[in-house]
Amino acid sequence: MPLSAVVADVATGVVLALRGGGDPYALSRVLPQDDPLAPAAIRVLGADVLAPYALDHRSAPAGADDETVVRQALAAYPPGPDASEVSVWTYRGLIEASRALLPGDPGDADRAWPQVPRAGAAWITTDPWPKLAFRASQLAALAFPGLAPDLADGLAARTDDLARGFVRAVRRRDWLQAAGLGRWLARLPHVPPTLGLDSGLVFVQQMSDGDARVALHVVAARQFYGRGG
Amino acid sequence: MTTAAVAAAAPPALLHAVGDRALTWLDNHREFFRLTAEERASGTVFERLKPIGELALIMQVLFREGVAGSRQHTRASRLLDFAWRELLDGGTVLTELQRDEPVSPVALEVYATFRQLGYRAPALEAAVEVSRRTTTWKTLEMMPNRRLGVLNAERKAGLAPSEDFDGAVSRTWLGRLPEPWTVQYNIAYDITHTVFHLTNWGEAPDRIPPEIASYLTLYLPAWMEDWLDAENWDLLGELLVVDTCLPHPTLDARIWERYAAAQSDAGAMPAQRGMPEGDTSDVFDDVHHPTLIAVFASAMATSRALQSA
Repeated sequence: MPLSAVVADVATGVVLALRGGGDPYALSRVLPQDDPLAPAAIRVLGADVLAPYALDHRSAPAGADDETVVRQALAAYPPGPDASEVSVWTYRGLIEASRALLPGDPGDADRAWPQVPRAGAAWITTDPWPKLAFRASQLAALAFPGLAPDLADGLAARTDDLARGFVRAVRRRDWLQAAGLGRWLARLPHVPPTLGLDSGLVFVQQMSDGDARVALHVVAARQFYGRGG
Repeated sequence: MTTAAVAAAAPPALLHAVGDRALTWLDNHREFFRLTAEERASGTVFERLKPIGELALIMQVLFREGVAGSRQHTRASRLLDFAWRELLDGGTVLTELQRDEPVSPVALEVYATFRQLGYRAPALEAAVEVSRRTTTWKTLEMMPNRRLGVLNAERKAGLAPSEDFDGAVSRTWLGRLPEPWTVQYNIAYDITHTVFHLTNWGEAPDRIPPEIASYLTLYLPAWMEDWLDAENWDLLGELLVVDTCLPHPTLDARIWERYAAAQSDAGAMPAQRGMPEGDTSDVFDDVHHPTLIAVFASAMATSRALQSA
């Protein structure tokens, strides 16, 4: 199975869990640790693989198997010195979410989570809006309660620019980018009411023709932030 | 407004050069604006009048904004004279049209600009005055932004507008401030034309209500990016005019540079992507509108750049 199909399967599992249907979610069930593509799939989806654990009634308690599969991914893709800022932020997000939602044990060196790497933040204030929108959409998994508060604060000062990015992404029919930006806008205060974010999120999901990653952003916007319902 | 620093503005010389070259091309091709005897006889005058009306409007913008050099000014005056005397036969074409279609506002829409510039057709004015007494004149069904155009033509012609302007604005797409991500090709033209009529072709930008100005300031950059990507120079040119009507025009250098680069060596602006090939008169039909808009956008942007310098 190609990576994109594995990613879509995991995203579908997260979507079902966040919507509250089916069996309680367990990451190690939708993505077994012996799946050779598990680390790569987690790298793509980032903290979102743990999203259902943030809604405790939507998942089983996270266990050792879930922890193992995430540890494998963190070990497989530590950001190197040349890593893009988006990669570093994504990695940070996964560590932050793991600390908050998986068992771990800070007293046990083997079960402590890695230190969060430093991630460049200048772009959040200086990027022109098209580039800002592109990067923010790639970091949409961080639009997750409690994660990356500094990033959220920085982006809260750029909601007009993210709104422009949303408009542009819908026009280009880049549904994944539009959904990611819509999800950030759902988290942030002072989103321009004229954007029509709620109908926009629903529209993007409808137009994306069943894309599981788009659905994940849209359902996250609804379950975590009450937008797009 | 929660946005980062604004984009760099294009230098006035670049803004000015686009219009100068476009006007040169229009002047060199003015014969192609001509109405043929067959067109006058066959009822296709409407289609051919639109470019003539636009030519007059945009020459008026050039005079009004005061950014034309003396050579440009001479060209514009010569083109206007040519349009009135040769193309409209001193107004006779418009008077004939009013006689053929007594309740149509088209002749008035074309005439209003010429009248402001000192050209007069008293027989047409008398005919329009009679038509304006009818209820039909006020109730003809048309797109809300076109209705604004008729009201603006009345205002320009020194007539009392046949309807409340604010109410007419609120019935346009733009007046309702709908979801900006729904703006496709036709809606984009509805937006630009609402702004043109509302501001009398850029003369009075402060007539744009504040909530509409904020909405445009917020979303215009996204729409410009969209049509820049599509290399739709006709629509992009109109959106560049809208930019100049906002309280803080961006005059975005990156967009203007690409717009200028799209212009042909002779000064014509293609409608989309590159210049079409073929018979000169077919090419004229394809590109006269984007080229007129290039003159318009250039005059407005040069004027704004000099104001803020």
